[in-house]
Amino acid sequence: MESLFVQQVVNGIIIGSIYSLIAIGLTMIFGVMKICNFAHGDYSMVGAYAAVFVMAWLPGWFGWIGSIVAAAAAVGILGVITERLVFRPLLTRRTDIDIIMVSIGLFIVLENLSQLVFGATPRMLQDPFGSATVNLGLFSTSILRLFCLAFSCIAMGFLHLFLNRTQTGIAIRATSQNRNAALLMGIDISHVYTLTFALGAGIAGIAGVLYGTLFAVFPTMGALPTLKAFVVTILGGMGNLRGAVFGGFILGVAETLGGSYISMQYKNSIGFVIIILVLLIRPNGLFGRREGT
Amino acid sequence: MDILRTDKLSKWFGGLCAVKEVSFSLVKGEIMGLIGPNGAGKTTLINLISGVFPPTNGNILYQGKNITRLKTHSLNKMGIARTFQIVRIFKTLTVIENVLTAMVNRKTYGPWSLAWGSLFKRSGAFTDNKDACVKAEELLDFVGIGEYRDELAENMPYAFSKRLEIARALATRPEVLLLDEPSSGLNPKEQNDQVEIIKKINQQGTTIMIIEHVMKVIMEISHRLIVLHYGEKIAEGEPEKVYSDPKVIEAYLGGDADA
Amino acid sequence: MSQDKYNKLWKALGIAVLFAIPLVISDRYFLHLMVMAGIFVMLTSSWNLLTGYAGQINLGHAAFYGIGAYTSALLVMKVGISPWIGLFMGGFVSAFFGLLLGIPSIRLSGPYLAITTIGFAEILRLVAMNWVELTRGSLGLYGIPPLTAIKLSPGFSIEFTSERNFYYVLLIAIFLTLFCFKRLVQSEFGITLKSMRDDEPGAESIGVDTTRYKLAVFTISAFFAGFAGALFAHYQRLVSPDTLSLGETFTILTMTMLGGLGTLAGPVVGAILLTFLSEGLRFVEDMVKLNVRMVIYGFLLIITILFMREGVVGLFSHYRRSGDTGQ
Ligand SMILES: Nc1ncnc2c1ncn2[C@@H]1O[C@H](COP(=O)(O)OP(=O)(O)OP(=O)(O)O)[C@@H](O)[C@H]1O
Ligand SMILES: [Mg+2]
Repeated sequence: MESLFVQQVVNGIIIGSIYSLIAIGLTMIFGVMKICNFAHGDYSMVGAYAAVFVMAWLPGWFGWIGSIVAAAAAVGILGVITERLVFRPLLTRRTDIDIIMVSIGLFIVLENLSQLVFGATPRMLQDPFGSATVNLGLFSTSILRLFCLAFSCIAMGFLHLFLNRTQTGIAIRATSQNRNAALLMGIDISHVYTLTFALGAGIAGIAGVLYGTLFAVFPTMGALPTLKAFVVTILGGMGNLRGAVFGGFILGVAETLGGSYISMQYKNSIGFVIIILVLLIRPNGLFGRREGT
Repeated sequence: MDILRTDKLSKWFGGLCAVKEVSFSLVKGEIMGLIGPNGAGKTTLINLISGVFPPTNGNILYQGKNITRLKTHSLNKMGIARTFQIVRIFKTLTVIENVLTAMVNRKTYGPWSLAWGSLFKRSGAFTDNKDACVKAEELLDFVGIGEYRDELAENMPYAFSKRLEIARALATRPEVLLLDEPSSGLNPKEQNDQVEIIKKINQQGTTIMIIEHVMKVIMEISHRLIVLHYGEKIAEGEPEKVYSDPKVIEAYLGGDADA
Repeated sequence: MSQDKYNKLWKALGIAVLFAIPLVISDRYFLHLMVMAGIFVMLTSSWNLLTGYAGQINLGHAAFYGIGAYTSALLVMKVGISPWIGLFMGGFVSAFFGLLLGIPSIRLSGPYLAITTIGFAEILRLVAMNWVELTRGSLGLYGIPPLTAIKLSPGFSIEFTSERNFYYVLLIAIFLTLFCFKRLVQSEFGITLKSMRDDEPGAESIGVDTTRYKLAVFTISAFFAGFAGALFAHYQRLVSPDTLSLGETFTILTMTMLGGLGTLAGPVVGAILLTFLSEGLRFVEDMVKLNVRMVIYGFLLIITILFMREGVVGLFSHYRRSGDTGQ
C-alpha cells in the first residue's frame, strides 16, 4: 500500500515535470504578451514529430540529442512564425476573445495539418536506454523516466539562469512585469515578443520530445497537454513562472494519486476540479498576485 | 448639512496602507477638491466611497445610512455616481448609447424582469425610444458633445470621451458625483471647458467631490479642499488656506523628490 | 417608412421560401443538412448571446447542448414523459447548469473563465462516458423515441420521423428563438449586456448588478442550447458523449466568428454557411483523397478574426448598420 503511494508520487513528479516544462512557455508568453495560446500543446506535437524524423536518420544517443536540438529549433521558428503572422496583428486590438479564438484556429490548423502530412498512425520514439529500469526499494521506474525528470529540471534551471542573468532575459522579465516601464527603459518590445515566443515554443518543443518518448507521437497529442498546461498555468497564476513549475508538479502528483485512489476514468478531469475549486477561492490562482483596479 | 461622511476610513493592500483613518464630510451642494501627490491614495478613497472594494476599517455614511459595505451598483442606485481616472466608456457602443444605457431604470427592474419584459414589448429597440433619446441628447449637449451622437465611443477624441463619461454619470441622476481627475491629459482650453461643465453641474444642485492635479482647476472650482499624503488627511479647509499650509507644501515638495 | 416596408417584404419572402423548401426539394439528404444547420443556428445564436453580447467567454457551450440532449432522451426513455415536454425539460435542466456555470463567472473573466468553462464541459463529458448504467458510456443512447405524432383526426396524424416534418418543427423553434434573441438584444437588457461586455467596472458605476446579469445571461443562453440539444436527440435518436466535446464547441464558435460575433444575423449566416461549406468540402476531399476539411475550418477561423472583424455579416456594411434589425 505504502509503496504504491510512493510509486504514484514519483510517477506524478515525473509527468509533472513535463507539464511544468510545457506550461512554463505558455505562462511566459501570457506574462509578456497577454496571449492565451490554445495551440501551445501543438508546439510540443511538432517538436515530437521533429524528433521522429531525426531519429529515423540518427539512431541511439546522437539521435536523441539531435532531436532535442532539432525540436527546439524547429518549434522555436514555428513559434516566431505564428507570433508574426497570427498574434502580432491582433495585439493592438487586444480583446481576449479574438486572441483566444485565433489561437483555437491555429490549434485546429496545426492538428489537422499534421494529420494530413504525417498520417494518424502513432509513432514511437526510441528509448535511448533500451527500456532499462531501476528499483530503488520504495519504487521502481524506468531510467528513461528518471532521465526525463532530470532533463526537464535542467531545462528549467537553464531558463531560470537565462531569465535572471542575461540582458535579454532580464528584458523579458521586465516587459512581463511592466510593459510601459520597459518601453521607457528603451527595451525593444517587438524584439522581446519575438524572443519570448521563440523561447516559449522551443521549450514546448523539447517537452514534446520527452512526452513523445514516454508515450507516443500522434497528430492530436497536443490537445491534452494544452489543457494540462492551462490548468497548471492557472494554478500558478498566469504569467508566474515559479507558479507554473510548482503547478506542474502539483497537477502531476494530484493526477496520478487521484487516478489510482479515486478513479482512473476521471483522471483527466482532476486538474479541472482542482482549478475550479482554487479559482472559486482565489480568482488569480494559487500563487497569483491579487489584482486591483 | 453633510450628505456623505466617512469615519476613520482605512484601506490596506497587503502591507501597504493606501488610505489611513481618513474622516471627512461632504456638505450638500458643495464642490470639494481632493488633492495629494501621486500615490497618495486619492483614487483609493473614491473607490472606497463608490464601493469598488470595502474598507479594511471605518465607516461610510450617506444621507444618514451606513453604506460601508455596499457594492458600486447599489450605491449608484442610491445616488452616488463616479467617473474614472482612466476613462471607462463603453467602446463599442455609440456615444448616445453610452448615455442611454445609463438611463435604464435599474432600481425598479432587475435583469430578469427586463429580459422577460422585452419579449412582450412591441415598441421596437430601446435605442430608438424617442423620449429616452431626447433626454440623452440633452445631456450630450449639456457637456457639449451633441454632434458626436452617433459616433462609436472608441473613436471619440480623448477630451470628449472624458466628457462622455461625465454625461453618462449624470444620466443616472446622482446626488453626489465623484470625479477622478476629469481634466488630466487635456489642454488648457479643454480644461477651461471642463471647469465650466463641472460648475454647471454643481449649480444644478449636485454635490461634487473632485480629484485633480491641475492646481488652476482645483483652486478655481472647489469650495473646500482636503489633502491626502501617504493615505493620511493632512489638511482640510478653504483652498487658499490649504494652499499655503506649510504641511501641504512640504508634502508636495517631498512627494516630488520621491517621484 | 418605405424602407421599413421593404424590410418587411423581404422578411415575408424569406420566410415563405424557408417554408416552401421541403415542398420543392425532396432530397432527404439536403433536408437533413438543413435540419443540422438549423440546430446549429440555435446553438450559435445562444453562444453569441453569452459570448458576443455579454462578453463571457464560454468554451464549454457544447456541454449545454449535451445536457439538453441527454436530459430529454433519458426522461423520455426512463420516465416515459412525452418528447414534447422533454424538449422543455432539456432546456430547463441545461438552464440550471448554466446558472451553476455562471457562478464562477462572477469573479472570473477572460482566460480564467475560458478554462473553467472547458473544465466544466470536460468533466460532464467524462461523466457521460463513464456513468455507463445511465448513459451507456461511449456507445451513447440509441433508440431515442422521435417526437410523438400529433393526431389531428382519427385517420390523420402528423408524424415527425421524416426530415421534412422535423424541418418544420425546427423552423418554428428557430423563429421563436431568434425572435426572443432579437427582442432581448434590442432591449434595455441587451444594451446592459453590451455595456458589461465593454467595461465591467464602468457598467457597475451606472448601476448594473453585473453578478445578476451574468447569472441571467448564462441561464438564458444555456436554456436555448439545451433546447437545441433536446431537439437533436429526438431527431437523430442517438446521443453520444461526443455531443459534449470540445470539438463540438469549436464548431459552434467557428460558425459564429465566421458569420459575425455580436450581431444577430452573424450566427445564422455562419451556421448555414459552414454546414453547407463542409458538405462541399466533403466532395473535394473525395476527389483529392485528403482530409482537408478541418484544416480549412481552422484557416477560415484565423482569417476571419484577422481580416474580417465582424465576419461575413460585417462585409455587407449596410447590413451591419442595421445589424441588430437583421434576420
Ligand atoms: N487595487 C490595488 N491593489 C494594490 N495596491 C493598490 C491598489 N490600488 C492602489 N494601490 C496602491 O495604493 C496607493 C495609492 O494609490 P492611488 O491610486 O489611490 O493613488 P492616487 O492618489 O490616486 O495617485 P495618482 O495621483 O497617481 O492617481 C499606491 O501606492 C498604489 O500602488
Ligand atoms: Mg488616482
